[in-house]
Amino acid sequence: MPAVSKGDGMRGLAVFISDIRNCKSKEAEIKRINKELANIRSKFKGDKALDGYSKKKYVCKLLFIFLLGHDIDFGHMEAVNLLSSNKYTEKQIGYLFISVLVNSTSELIRLINNGVKNDLTSRNPTFMCLALHCIANVGSREMGEAFAADIPRILVAGDSMDSVKQSAALCLLRLYKASPDLVPMGEWTARVVHLLNDQHMGVVTAAVSLITCLCKKNPEDFKTCVSLAVSRLSRIVSSASTDLQDYTYYFVPAPWLSVKLLRLLQCYAPPEDAAVKGRLVECLETVLNKAQEPPKSKKVQHSNAKNAVLFETISLIIHYDSEPNLLVRACNQLGQFLQHRETNLRYLALESMCTLASSEFSHEAVKTHIDTVINALKTERDVSVRQRAADLLYAMCDRSNAKQIVSEMLRYLETADYAIREEIVLKVAILAEKYAVDYSWYVDTILNLIRIAGDYVSEEVWYRVLQIVTNRDDVQGYAAKTVFEALQAPACHENMVKVGGYILGEFGNLIAGDPRSSPPVQFSLLHSKFHLCSVATRALLLSTYIKFINLFPETKATIQAVLRAGSQLRNADVELQQRAVEYLTLSSIASTDVLATVLEEMPPFPERESSILAKLKRKKGPGAASTLDDGRREPGPGGDVNGGVEPAPSTGSTPSPSADLLGLRAAPPPAAPPAPPSAGSLLVDVFSDSPTGGPPSLGPSPEEAFLSPAAEDPGIPIPEADELLHKFVCKNSGVLFENALLQIGVKSEFRQNLGRMYLFYGNKTSVQFQNFCPTVTHPGDLQSQLVVQTKRVPGQVDGGAQVQQVLNIECLRDFLTPPLLTVRFRYGGAPQALTLKLPVTINKFFQPTEMAAQAFFQRWKQLSLPQQEAQKIFQANHPMDSEVTKAKPCWTTWTQTQRTMWVLGSCRPKPCRWAACCGSSPTPRPRCTA
Amino acid sequence: MIGGLFIYNHKGEVLISRVYRDDIGRNAVDAFRVNVIHARQQVRSPVTNIARTSFFHVKRSNIWLAAVTKQNVNAAMVFEFLYKMCDVMAAYFGKISEENIKNNFVLIYELLDEILDFGYPQNSETGALKTFITQQGIKSQHQTKEEQSQITSQVTGQIGWRREGIKYRRNELFLDVLESVNLLMSPQGQVLSAHVSGRVVMKSYLSGMPECKFGMNDKIVIEKQGKGTADETGKSGKQSIAIDDCTFHQCVRLSKFDSERSISFIPPDGEFELMRYRTTKDIILPFRVIPLVREVGRTKLEVKVVIKSNFKPSLLAQKIEVRIPTPLNTSGVQVICMKGKAKYKASENAIVWKIKRMAGMKESQISAEIELLPTNDKKKWARPPISMNFEVPFAPSGLKVRYLKVFEPKLNYSDHDVIKWVRYIGRSGIYETRC
Repeated sequence: MPAVSKGDGMRGLAVFISDIRNCKSKEAEIKRINKELANIRSKFKGDKALDGYSKKKYVCKLLFIFLLGHDIDFGHMEAVNLLSSNKYTEKQIGYLFISVLVNSTSELIRLINNGVKNDLTSRNPTFMCLALHCIANVGSREMGEAFAADIPRILVAGDSMDSVKQSAALCLLRLYKASPDLVPMGEWTARVVHLLNDQHMGVVTAAVSLITCLCKKNPEDFKTCVSLAVSRLSRIVSSASTDLQDYTYYFVPAPWLSVKLLRLLQCYAPPEDAAVKGRLVECLETVLNKAQEPPKSKKVQHSNAKNAVLFETISLIIHYDSEPNLLVRACNQLGQFLQHRETNLRYLALESMCTLASSEFSHEAVKTHIDTVINALKTERDVSVRQRAADLLYAMCDRSNAKQIVSEMLRYLETADYAIREEIVLKVAILAEKYAVDYSWYVDTILNLIRIAGDYVSEEVWYRVLQIVTNRDDVQGYAAKTVFEALQAPACHENMVKVGGYILGEFGNLIAGDPRSSPPVQFSLLHSKFHLCSVATRALLLSTYIKFINLFPETKATIQAVLRAGSQLRNADVELQQRAVEYLTLSSIASTDVLATVLEEMPPFPERESSILAKLKRKKGPGAASTLDDGRREPGPGGDVNGGVEPAPSTGSTPSPSADLLGLRAAPPPAAPPAPPSAGSLLVDVFSDSPTGGPPSLGPSPEEAFLSPAAEDPGIPIPEADELLHKFVCKNSGVLFENALLQIGVKSEFRQNLGRMYLFYGNKTSVQFQNFCPTVTHPGDLQSQLVVQTKRVPGQVDGGAQVQQVLNIECLRDFLTPPLLTVRFRYGGAPQALTLKLPVTINKFFQPTEMAAQAFFQRWKQLSLPQQEAQKIFQANHPMDSEVTKAKPCWTTWTQTQRTMWVLGSCRPKPCRWAACCGSSPTPRPRCTA
Repeated sequence: MIGGLFIYNHKGEVLISRVYRDDIGRNAVDAFRVNVIHARQQVRSPVTNIARTSFFHVKRSNIWLAAVTKQNVNAAMVFEFLYKMCDVMAAYFGKISEENIKNNFVLIYELLDEILDFGYPQNSETGALKTFITQQGIKSQHQTKEEQSQITSQVTGQIGWRREGIKYRRNELFLDVLESVNLLMSPQGQVLSAHVSGRVVMKSYLSGMPECKFGMNDKIVIEKQGKGTADETGKSGKQSIAIDDCTFHQCVRLSKFDSERSISFIPPDGEFELMRYRTTKDIILPFRVIPLVREVGRTKLEVKVVIKSNFKPSLLAQKIEVRIPTPLNTSGVQVICMKGKAKYKASENAIVWKIKRMAGMKESQISAEIELLPTNDKKKWARPPISMNFEVPFAPSGLKVRYLKVFEPKLNYSDHDVIKWVRYIGRSGIYETRC
């Protein structure tokens, strides 16, 4: 570096800065700056040439003024001129000004780029470094476009100085991060990898950063770096602390480089070459060994550097997840940190252990620390550390320690921070369900959970309890007894009332034998909570009451009185009022047999992935969810990783696929068979909106799966439904119509003159459609040609649900226009109506007839009248459906008139006797004649 | 009510801190410093709310006075109090500066105790305060019982602003009409907005408890009188002015003003501000500025400004200063002016043209060539208005003092024995012309 000459002190600048610092007020400062700016402007006027020194001084002043927060709109030109100076200090100031103040002003950018280019091609390493720093500091797209190609060349050139290589690597890294598309990959990539062997540690450090970033995009191109990195790492790790003089930091050899190398290795799978792998394992062991050694210094920097390398090593071991020995050692090492007095170390140890717990090899080792972790949960002062401890407990839980962990978490819940309570509740619920050997324990746990943290128990949690209790016969009685006891507490949480109401409504009879829990007692207990509850809970309780009427006929009078009370029948809430009216009517009109059928015990729920798990994943956010997934990356055969879906033990009763009470799909639940006509439609309504409705099921139904590939853009106007209709000329299934609200799918089959069509109306919104009413009309004289019988559909379609309608079609005569389908419904109070053409065309009733060519032509020639003969040749608009083609065997028999399809007009009376022949199938786009 | 009062210097150091209520903590001092005095962006609102605490501040040169409260107080009252306090301090030790405040901090605390009690403003009349808060220290030994009781009766009495028993050999009074005229004019000479805010300041050296009556050419009064004699209305109709709004010193009997629109009062001894007023109609604009700006290419600007004085040739305007803003990329200025001195002040980005004296019905001219430095910025120069300062010996609003009568029934002097002086001074407020 050039020596600082006498004039480089820039006295003017120092005076100016001290003036500004001495200003008594903001106003005075602005005055001083204005004065200085005017002075600089008069100097830059261009009458007289300025020497390099004064130019530098004034540019410096401008820079200082800019950094004080004032706008600078001149002086750029002078700064660019400084770039061409031969003096280091002047060039440096020029580059500084440009990196701070440059904006993409077109004319200047060219000049700047020119200056930078000159410096890059100069042989002077300091100038090259300055230019590289400037490119990296600006890092704009323009800069990238101009220099992205040159920098790799400088980086791998044999004659570049070490410092230049270092700068070039970092500059390239910056450009790559800013705009990856600009950096061309080429043969230099192979040579970059060899920089890992460089003598100069600075170059290696810079290169590792660059390679780590690059290899994330193209791991294959940089695969060779693994062995080089391993050998470099082993050289560092095995070196004595005095070997790498400048790069030893508080007795730790090159900690930053080691950490970067370990990170780089985490981008790849374990090396396959045994020698390399052996060396790497040796390295990792050395690091673990070193951790056991007594510290060489008491300074915090020493331990920080050492632990940084150690933690990175452990993450590499976890990443490889293949060395049981190392994993266990890492786990033991972390175990020591669990009791360290540094809070940060404890946090990191807990966090790393979380991932260790998901590995099959170290799971057992992690479990040995359970007491320490529980202790941490209880005594830790820092909330974030407690959170990690809770995470770890969750991760290390399995069948053997589930009871202990769940009880500890429950105990912790009482004092836990509000922010993490819901998460803990979810975790407890999941663990309790998953590792429940004995379902009474499960029920106890969840009820406890509701008791302790009722506010944080989300719907999913208590839905799940109900599902499990309903599905398992053995636990129902116990559950009923427990909730009955729990409800006796003077103040119980609303969620408890909900669970209690549901369970007693279903299984209250199981404990009715005990005089202490006789039906009237059960009822009065529930009803004592009724007035303190929200509307949703009250609605649920009303359903419980009607179930009681069925279970315990002796309570009928009491319950009817309750339902009849003005507070129910004339309730301001429409839901409660409706329920009260309907239940009252149902209980008074229907016979006991009907009641018993209507209010039958709920069928078991179909098994599905626990919705609580989904909720937990949602709650933890995408980042956390991915780590959870990472943990599950390769669950070994014995690996019992939480978060995975474990098939629940099958229940005694077979789950019926149609009993989808929790899903919102089926509007009329199977528990409600056709009710008396008087209350029929109302009943359906009552049950369809039952509060027992659980989360929507995740897997698509067969219908949806069939419909989904044909999904169209929403918002197609009705006139274009014609376009959709044309698709169905040669197709029997698909999406007939779709907009933002509604999807109509169709599936049909035709035989001779009969046809059956299934229409699927899918509600795409989350709001219920009301007064849903599809009707089929026959315009014109279609009435006499086609008979369409429709089955009724329910008047409501729940959000996200689908209803099916069956149409039976009989063709009496030939017809031209298709029947019309009109769908009317109310969405959010606004009436909606749309009219579509039903995909019923005459060709659906065509039947193939075997006919030899001669026979055909014989007939053709027999046609004598001109009106009997029609021939038209046109291009097919739609490709032929091969299914349909196969269904018409006559097509293959007809080979003489290729590329033509003949449809013979006929005067035969029956539509089914229409004859059709066509051109050959091998042609990709057959033409048709009619 | 006011919870506390702080005085800061320009660096934000606290010079005076007086907390009246417990809800104001020590941290309020820092909160104001951090959020207002040292704010990154200059705080323009005089009221700042920080953490449910309101700070009302006024600035006198480099000194910040801040009143703090947690309650929903009458902001106008707080500011009135702050201004009053500035007046009181100025009356005691002159200019409000850091030096003066540091030197008089005992006095200031003493004053604060007297003029603010548990956050409620008390008597802040300088004349009254000076009778018992003196800079010479406590003189209780020399004060007789009677003097003490006199102070008590005065301070607690009906006329708290004047003590009894004042005697002057020469009964004299001075009346100053001070006005500041504000104007915004378009380049074509069209008045966009103009108003005059004026004050009537009185300095009285009168014996006893004199009853004074002040009369001026208020339009309402003139018209009321003119009802009787029709010819007088014709004569004085032109002379009367329409006052938009006015406020009076506490000594003025407002009930009398409301009923008869006459201004009668017993004046405090010494100097006080009798009334403040504002007018917007028929304003005499003492100067007219005619700007001419021509841009010659990208690097040159020619400015020519003519000023015309528009009042009686016998009157002389003084301290005339015209400020012509220059673009931010000015690199050099050449100025030629016929009268006075003109200079380019880089620190203010303006050409300042000063003329000592100028008679009415005259005109003068300045022309300047401004060289510009080409910049990268494509922003056009915003052309801020040309502003002007001056002082003229008449009231631009047209206000005339018609009479000031003094009655002292007890003592033996009449209106004719009092020597009266009246002076009119018109100054420029914000007097701007767009260019």
